[in-house]
Amino acid sequence: MIGNDIVDLALARKESNWKRNGFLDKIFTTKEQLLISNAENPEVMVWNLWSRKEAAYKIYNRQTGIRAYIPTQLACVYDNENSGSVQCHGNTYYTKTEITKEKIHTVAVTQQRDFSEIKMEKPLAKIHKKNGIPFVNYARDAEKPISISHHGRFIAWVAMD
Amino acid sequence: MNREETIEKLKGIVKPYIQNQEAFDNLTESTDFIKDLQINSANLVDVILDIEEEFDIVIDNESMEQMVDVKSAMEIIGTKLSKK
Repeated sequence: MIGNDIVDLALARKESNWKRNGFLDKIFTTKEQLLISNAENPEVMVWNLWSRKEAAYKIYNRQTGIRAYIPTQLACVYDNENSGSVQCHGNTYYTKTEITKEKIHTVAVTQQRDFSEIKMEKPLAKIHKKNGIPFVNYARDAEKPISISHHGRFIAWVAMD
Repeated sequence: MNREETIEKLKGIVKPYIQNQEAFDNLTESTDFIKDLQINSANLVDVILDIEEEFDIVIDNESMEQMVDVKSAMEIIGTKLSKK
């Protein structure tokens, strides 16, 4: 299973004031807030952790069918700026994060080995949604889950090969 | 505060964050913050913080979980106000 999330840093700067009183408390665990306050660039850490939570939530939502706003229950285990995992109600989702000056992009999977089977191009086949969750039909194959993330100038598609 | 007043106040709170004007103009209790109004999920925190300030209530994590549509938000606001 896959999930992904992209953050356009310029747009995030415009849309969100992460320094707002209460903002970090509502989204991040104590441990994550410590990572943010100790980070060389706290802003990048905020969106790095956020994109991990969002990518992991997309899998959690697919697996359980549960829709809930649970950012603090998606707890990041931070290995380094590009890799880690997210724990949620006994589930582990592995994450890989790519950071550039303009954007932060996280891909989450349920098995580490799935990282090698990821396809990131825009699919030629038609995408359809079931209960708001997107799937793609590759030729002759059964439908496969696809995760689409769009923020500001950027869009990313992630499917399993 | 009656339901109409609460929903009007709530509309004023979500307005700056919506990305679908049509869904906002036709807002009902079944309107979903993310799917219908297309509020960015990071901005949902701002909606929650604004609700706390506007209604002078505290929304704990358990209540926050359900904050995905107008109906749940109205229920949570109602419950918290009645406990004040």
